[in-house]
Amino acid sequence: MVKSTIPKNIVFYADDDTDDLELVKDAFDKFTNNVEVVTAKDGVQALAYLQSLNDFTLTPCLIILDVNMPILSGRDVLRKIKEIPSISSVPVVLFSTSSSALDKEFAKKYNAGFVTKPLDISQMKMITELFIDHCSDEIKRNIRRHLQ
Amino acid sequence: MKMSEFESLSHHEQLAILYQDGVYIGKRRTGELTRLLFQLEAFYIEISYRSYRKAIHKICCSHSTVILEPYLEQIEIEYLVT
Repeated sequence: MVKSTIPKNIVFYADDDTDDLELVKDAFDKFTNNVEVVTAKDGVQALAYLQSLNDFTLTPCLIILDVNMPILSGRDVLRKIKEIPSISSVPVVLFSTSSSALDKEFAKKYNAGFVTKPLDISQMKMITELFIDHCSDEIKRNIRRHLQ
Repeated sequence: MKMSEFESLSHHEQLAILYQDGVYIGKRRTGELTRLLFQLEAFYIEISYRSYRKAIHKICCSHSTVILEPYLEQIEIEYLVT
């Protein structure tokens, strides 16, 4: 797990693909003044982090989950999140290379968003905006107001 | 869209169409290249990356199902039928 020291708006992202972890972290670089991307390398690590959150830690403003992770998939983590009262209302986005209708339906069933991974880095700017669109209105305003 | 029409487009246009309408089939690595396979209507498109999602080596199209073979073992049959 990689975490920087300055607490900001936390975007939590779990993915077993290190290339995609880097891609998303780089995409949020322009929001570095007030967004911190915390990452996990698989679903188990993601769930452990989310279950460890308490009144003294910052709750993420957005949770992004890769769908296809080994052992505990993004779908599994999403189900678990909805069983944890303290984070069940945090916006969640399922993130996948596949644009499977089944995954989209699953996301909808659990009140989560669904975003298809980019095919090229040029699509990442649009995708980052889609991520931010899933945050609460206050967080959205806050993130976009403090662009570098 | 016909395969010949797709092939006549720029990479940027091809990627925009694939992002919107392509059906993801699988991912594989061969040497230093990472490859993604998609289906679009009646043909298949394989994107080969020198640097995954950052630098495209080439985009190949085919009507032949032979292109599927290296990817078949990765398809999650169990998930598709449940």
